[in-house]
Amino acid sequence: MLKVKGVKKEFLKLNSKKKEELFLANNNISFQAKDGEIVGILGPNGAGKTTLLRIVAGILEPTSGSVLFDDFNYLNNEIEIKKNIAYLSGNTKIYHSITTYELLKMCCEIYEVDRDKIGERIQEVSTILDLNDFLYNKIGNLSTGQMQRVNIARCLVHDPKYYILDEATSGLDIISSQIILDFIKSEKKHGKTILYSTHYMEEAENICDHVIMVNKGSIIKEGSPIKIKKDTNTTNLRDAFFALIGGVDNEE
Amino acid sequence: MKSKVFNIFKKEIREMFRDKKSLMMMLVIPIMIPLLVLGMSALFDSEVNKSQDEYNKIGFNYAFSDVEKKIAKEAGIKVVYKDSHALKKMYDDEQIDLYVERDGDKYIINGEDNDTTAYASALVENYFSIYKEYLQTQYLANNNINPNEVVNIIKIEENIVEKDNFYASYITNYAFLFIIMAITVSATYPATDTTAGEKERGTLETLLTFPISSKDIIVGKFLSVSISSIITGVISLLLTIVSLAMAGEMFEIYDGVNLMLSTNSLLFASIVIISYSFLISGLCIAIASTTKTFKEASSALMPLTFISFFPGMIAFMMDIKTNTLYSLIPFLNCSLIFTDITNGGVNFFHIFLMILSTIVVIWIVLYIIIRQYKSEKVLFSK
Repeated sequence: MLKVKGVKKEFLKLNSKKKEELFLANNNISFQAKDGEIVGILGPNGAGKTTLLRIVAGILEPTSGSVLFDDFNYLNNEIEIKKNIAYLSGNTKIYHSITTYELLKMCCEIYEVDRDKIGERIQEVSTILDLNDFLYNKIGNLSTGQMQRVNIARCLVHDPKYYILDEATSGLDIISSQIILDFIKSEKKHGKTILYSTHYMEEAENICDHVIMVNKGSIIKEGSPIKIKKDTNTTNLRDAFFALIGGVDNEE
Repeated sequence: MKSKVFNIFKKEIREMFRDKKSLMMMLVIPIMIPLLVLGMSALFDSEVNKSQDEYNKIGFNYAFSDVEKKIAKEAGIKVVYKDSHALKKMYDDEQIDLYVERDGDKYIINGEDNDTTAYASALVENYFSIYKEYLQTQYLANNNINPNEVVNIIKIEENIVEKDNFYASYITNYAFLFIIMAITVSATYPATDTTAGEKERGTLETLLTFPISSKDIIVGKFLSVSISSIITGVISLLLTIVSLAMAGEMFEIYDGVNLMLSTNSLLFASIVIISYSFLISGLCIAIASTTKTFKEASSALMPLTFISFFPGMIAFMMDIKTNTLYSLIPFLNCSLIFTDITNGGVNFFHIFLMILSTIVVIWIVLYIIIRQYKSEKVLFSK
């Protein structure tokens, strides 16, 4: 189980007068994601989703609060936690000068996949994501869709327990987006915990078991999509979000 | 931990050797060294062994006697007779190398301060010295005095031993300074690419999600940049040796001088190169890590190229010798020990201090980068 407890993140940001000022990206965020659950983090751009997921993925340190994976935290078990995590964002880029095979082999070595099973695991993942046609091509020469499949393969290769996906479908065409959504559904079936941030409310409504709505760095509502719609007396999550923030003008 | 460092190191090396720009920086810069050694040697040689025909056309505004003609011929002067005005014009048009005007017993040598004038002036002064001695001898003989009792009253013999061949010392010192500069330039590109470049390309985020500590990431990157610098240093050293050997054979200025380094000197030179490569790689990684874009990193690293070169150049020009304190000063210590190596006077204690100072500097800079590597100010370009 993943538990986020009172996470707060402040950092210095340049204001319009080019002077540094303290910016509150996340304010006292707490939630939990059970095993085999897809938890959606929803909110507009600038709501603090990326900062929150970077903290959950151990890329950034919170100003206060903690993140626990099966009761282990980053302070004492950073490497062990990261071995069980896969992080994929819309901004995540992969190395263009190496081949797909070299990337997957490198990931297997870094995640300490049994040396004798590396070849077998790469083959398995390549078959699942249909990478065989370009397994030995340089990543820089692949199409956007192929590159995204390689990125998913990178996340899948060490068979992680937790997936942290930040705007993973952002900017992708309909086919590439569907590949990711299918991948999420399939991993849920395997009992994996998935934290999925997006600003596409409809997408979240379709795949998430539990939704956390954030605005201006704080949680404004959480629950199942059905419960949120019921509580806000709306028919979809988009309307629910606007009902919660009091209209379009209050969106960050 | 070791295997994680090795994973990062392997990734960086793979990327580096597949990147044309990195390879260019690593391999092409050392090629400048033979050009420098042979070019500078050719320049010195042409200056030292300048043909007399290039500076012996001397103008005079008066007619020569037979004796003057004979002395001028023996001194190798090609005499041009014209009036002062015409001589000035010829000099301005570079038809003559110098001109002499006579005003009674006074002879005025005219010209501008340059290399050709200096050679021509020496030739004319020699001519006047012989002519003056002739006149003195004649005067004494006419007055029944034995000239040898007056003119050669004392004998002077020169016994100045040239300890070092100036040109050999100059060229080897500059060649070794250039090795240091080549290593510096070679380290800046991969250091920039592996830090600021990785941020700009968006791959750093991927790297940070791997189960690898910041320390292992930094050490892996540092080692890969160091290897690139060492390769440049070793190639530069080999090309220096080859070009010095070629220069020794080709140019007269090195006659009687052994420009080749002994096996021990080569070994010590390699130690300096390795030590300096680690130092400069650590500094480059430290500086480039604090920047957010490739362009910003390139600008920030630019001063290092000059800092690497100047202490050694100043030390050479001021004839500063290695001592305990200087052996501890980064940049200066490598240049001074290189000079000691070329002079054949290596001090093991100074080499030990240089290595110690390098280790301390690297440890400090890596410690600082590792500590700040989780700061969002350092990590993300936006």
